[in-house]
Amino acid sequence: MKQSIGSLTVKSAMLVIAALLLFAPFLFQDIRALEVAARICIFIVLVASYDLLIGYTGIVSFAHTMFFGFGAYGSAIALKQMGPGWDAVALGTVAGVVVSLVIAAAIGLISLRVKAIFFAMITLAAASVVLVLASQLSQITGGEDGITYRTPDLFKTATKLAVDEDGKVVRWFGVKLNGKLAAYYFVFATSLVLFLAMLRITVSPLGTVLKAIRENEARAEAIGYRVVAYRTFVFCLSAVVASIAGSVYAIWLKYTGPDTALSFAIMIDILLMVVIGGMGTMWGAVIGAVLMVMAQYYLRDLMGAASEAVAGIPLLPELLAPDRWLFWLGIIFILLVYFFPKGIVGTLTAKGARPPEPLEGPVGVK
Amino acid sequence: MPQTSLSTTDLTIRFGGHVAVNRVSCDFHPGETTVIVGPNGAGKTTYFNLISGQLTASEGSVRKGDTDITRMSPSTRAKHGLGRAFQLTNLFPQLSVMENIRLAVQARAGAGWGLFRSAASLTGLNETTQRYLEAARLGDKAAMPAAALPHGDQRKLEVALLMAMEPDIYMFDEPTAGMSLDQAPAVLDLIAQIKSDPKKTVLLVEHKMDVVRALADRIIVLHNGELLADGAPDEVMSSQIVRDVYLGTATEETA
Repeated sequence: MKQSIGSLTVKSAMLVIAALLLFAPFLFQDIRALEVAARICIFIVLVASYDLLIGYTGIVSFAHTMFFGFGAYGSAIALKQMGPGWDAVALGTVAGVVVSLVIAAAIGLISLRVKAIFFAMITLAAASVVLVLASQLSQITGGEDGITYRTPDLFKTATKLAVDEDGKVVRWFGVKLNGKLAAYYFVFATSLVLFLAMLRITVSPLGTVLKAIRENEARAEAIGYRVVAYRTFVFCLSAVVASIAGSVYAIWLKYTGPDTALSFAIMIDILLMVVIGGMGTMWGAVIGAVLMVMAQYYLRDLMGAASEAVAGIPLLPELLAPDRWLFWLGIIFILLVYFFPKGIVGTLTAKGARPPEPLEGPVGVK
Repeated sequence: MPQTSLSTTDLTIRFGGHVAVNRVSCDFHPGETTVIVGPNGAGKTTYFNLISGQLTASEGSVRKGDTDITRMSPSTRAKHGLGRAFQLTNLFPQLSVMENIRLAVQARAGAGWGLFRSAASLTGLNETTQRYLEAARLGDKAAMPAAALPHGDQRKLEVALLMAMEPDIYMFDEPTAGMSLDQAPAVLDLIAQIKSDPKKTVLLVEHKMDVVRALADRIIVLHNGELLADGAPDEVMSSQIVRDVYLGTATEETA
């Protein structure tokens, strides 16, 4: 099959992003940049797992951050209570996954039979309850302040992965081979594995069934697929992936609180990323997460610089003041939705690959 | 008497006070094509929905062979060998023609839960899919999204989907609806092909009398949700009661 320019653009963008993330510690040698890179990795996984629900199967859920939070709090509480060991990491992650799985299965079996809007409301209610619980059970969760804890020694900044004769940490291309580097690659590798696994699922027979359910639920049922079972399964699957992403993020941040793991602001971020990137594409999750996280971290700086550059001109500096970054983010979002109605990836791949007109004659088989 | 592959006993459904299907008892046999006729609103499609599971009966039962399927979900009935095509084209519009058929093939093979295998690499499934693509003469359009097909090809795909499920019982609801005269034979050929297998039971809802004559081994007439007549085509077509229903005298008498 001939590649359209749109899908070639998307593919090359993916390669560039993958390379940038892989070499991030060497390319951007400041702490903030590494923070951004790690956040991008985690959000790619989180958004991709949400895309399995909303883009592939057509399930609208507002409980995705809840599962992310289960994972994050699982690791956080285990690390706080048991000390910074690998046993705590394992136990915390597994506990998060089990809780997510049980809650997802319960919500799914009870309510995936009902209409989409009711299901969305039920997930919203569950997520609100968990958010309130997290802030009320402050002995365990640290309440609004959250929990700070230490992670395994391997991830400490002071840890030397390799030392030279003088006992100093070895540098590669000017980068210290320390625990921070190990922590970043832990985040990168887990995210990569999870993302590739999900990518594989979307082209598997199961992936086709999910799309069939999105396209025509009644017919999927009529040809022999138990729609409720498939829906519940994919809901559980995406919950588990979100939970693991949460655990990994908690290990990276060494802090877990409502703002980093449970708030509805994160849910809205996920929704925006899915819409910006393109639903039902997987690659859209990557584009959406990169753009959104970059904007959140750098739009302010960019506007600060822009505002100074136009200092002499009336009105413009006020408009571009860094404090108005959310306003500009909103404008950018509206423009993106206007020019890329199917998301960036969805719109690009559709360009030039439009289905041929029915009467144009036979179409080559792949 | 030949064996019964499908039967309904006193099958009834009520919507509030309205009885859409009223105590319909009927047996269907392998190798036999039964056409269900009746005026609009007679309950033909509702009767179909009760058999294939989109609706659940208020009273009475549906049996497939020795199994009572009255309370089963549509997907379980499909696994028991009941295949149903729909009156309005009912496909997976954004998926390719090939994926549409492969969905039916893999449902039958029970491969829907394969998680980490690439669907495109399952050769067994793909060969079967290819066979049905060829049977429906859609091979050259395999990569097109179903929504982009002309109407006639969509109807063919609808039949191909059903054939790919390899059911024992085929149910067609006005398979040639909305098709032009030159398109219809392609779909009718496919149905004739199914009909030639003595193990298959075919149920057909149809209005067009030429189609009824070409395919029917037996005709049943539904009117106001009740079974009005049942018999060989010539017999039923010539009976007074059927003429009355179609000419409207029966409704005038009851009114």
